[in-house]
Amino acid sequence: MNKLWNQIDLSWTWLTASAHWHGDEGITHRLLQHLFYSFVPLLAAALIGLAFGLIAGHTGRGGFVAISLANVARAIPTLGLVLILAVVEFSIVPVLIALVALAIPPILVNTYEGVRNVDEDAKDAARGMGMTGWGVLWRAEVPMALPLILLGLRTAAIQVVATATIAAIPGYGGLGRFIVDGLARNDYQLVVGGTVLVVLLALIVQVVFAALRRLVVSPGLLGSARSS
Amino acid sequence: MITFEGVTKRYPDGTVALDDVSLECPTGRITVFVGTSGGGKTTALRTINRMVEPTGGRVLIDGGDVRERRPAELRRGIGYVIQHAGLFPHRTIEDNIATVPYLLRWNKKKARATAHELMERVGLDPSMARRYPFQLSGGQQQRVGVARALAADPPIMLMDEPFSAVDPVVRGELQDEFLRLQDELHKTIVFVTHDIDEAIKLGDRVAVFQTGGKLVQVDAPEDLLARPADDFVAGFIGHDRGIRRLSFVPASGAPLTERDVLAADAPVERAREAGDGWVLVVDGDRRPLGWAATGVLPSSGTVGDAALAPIGHTFTVESDSVRAALDAAILSPSGRAVGVDGDGRLVGVADQHDLTAAIATSGAGVAAEPADTPPAEPVKGGAGD
Repeated sequence: MNKLWNQIDLSWTWLTASAHWHGDEGITHRLLQHLFYSFVPLLAAALIGLAFGLIAGHTGRGGFVAISLANVARAIPTLGLVLILAVVEFSIVPVLIALVALAIPPILVNTYEGVRNVDEDAKDAARGMGMTGWGVLWRAEVPMALPLILLGLRTAAIQVVATATIAAIPGYGGLGRFIVDGLARNDYQLVVGGTVLVVLLALIVQVVFAALRRLVVSPGLLGSARSS
Repeated sequence: MITFEGVTKRYPDGTVALDDVSLECPTGRITVFVGTSGGGKTTALRTINRMVEPTGGRVLIDGGDVRERRPAELRRGIGYVIQHAGLFPHRTIEDNIATVPYLLRWNKKKARATAHELMERVGLDPSMARRYPFQLSGGQQQRVGVARALAADPPIMLMDEPFSAVDPVVRGELQDEFLRLQDELHKTIVFVTHDIDEAIKLGDRVAVFQTGGKLVQVDAPEDLLARPADDFVAGFIGHDRGIRRLSFVPASGAPLTERDVLAADAPVERAREAGDGWVLVVDGDRRPLGWAATGVLPSSGTVGDAALAPIGHTFTVESDSVRAALDAAILSPSGRAVGVDGDGRLVGVADQHDLTAAIATSGAGVAAEPADTPPAEPVKGGAGD
């Protein structure tokens, strides 16, 4: 217990020492790198996952294929994918691709399920009142599926932020650098400090998505979810 | 006018949902499609706004084939109400109602003003405008559904079992208000229900569909009750169609008497003289007070002092049907129904025999109907299709 506390104390000292925040090896720089490694794959995965999820959910076609592929993708170990791709090309690209593969399944599955489970009566009414296919999608299905879509994006974002540490394994930056370097040097102060930063970042992502949910999801949907 | 010309819907698996249906839904009237589950009534309704495309025949609106119009544009001109209202949970009540105005690119202010007007029209407090559907009861949601269909003032309304999902009391209220609204608006309405009572209450014309998508009969409700086309229709209407027909016989035709009617200040001796078991006691304004049994009158004083048995309910001579009058007679302790005017003043009394005579003279009682052999099990109810 004493040892653990000692470790935390050391990590705290490391985290709060202003010298550790500056420079190319500093926390600020690593944090920005980490955000970049997270954001780019997340954006790509969102475009792919939302597009296929919306199409499959709206048309009711291709859903089985999309979900099956997503579930297969979930089973792939991210680190393994990075190492295989690194054989082909040794750069940051394998890491980004692996993170995209990690992020697509939750986005795709949630979007598909969200759109598919929109109340049939509401969809029928939307069509019957003269909405076009796109109109039904944008004015009815997407707003009603939004809580689930956001959940998918949040899950993906947290996974990516936590997993982007693997960029350090083939020698790139990000917060994983501290962990990988710390492990290599038996410098647990560094390992714990880096881990704490990753956890904090994940928590911030969580808070951002909670705020986003309040901002963009209709109270009509949140209210019914609370009361049921 | 909506015209069906030999409309057939056959699905690729061979199921026939509509079998050569021809019928006219007159402008400004309510046409009710009624029938068993799988009878094709909902399918028929949905061919009008092209939610279902027939595989044969044509549907015309005022002579124009609906297939000549783009579905979305066609539908914006036709009100659409469905069973569970199908409101958009993410939109406020006002924005739900303004759905079609928004699609037609009205400005927001005008669309919302229209929404508020319609809320009043369908009996919703406009202070609910900013609420969300989950905050409303089923009946209120259904009213929003009707308001939403009316928003762009379409000449045609399609209503698919709009009142089936609410409890019987609320359903009755919604039906009454619906008829009142139609009296003001004169829309061309096609209304689907599996409930024959609702069909008879609401329809100017009733179209009966049979399993397999066959249209068996289209008639005014009273004609449907009087002359069901075949055993299926007779069975669907049920065994008490004779009683139901009385709804269409006005009570004003019944002979009413003022025999055995006494003012409350009349001496009890006069009641004894009447001697017919019961006398009706009225107040100075000729409002009925109750029935006095002549066998148990007080020895002296006025009939007003006697213990009066309650009337049950009265019937309004000008507006009620013989069905209401007969019901009043059956529930009355004296076996006689009390007819009143609009102000609740006595017009006269009729017993069950008098009422039966009125039925006979109206022609409704004539039992000379060739196909009047309803099957043992009336085909009624069903969950809709």
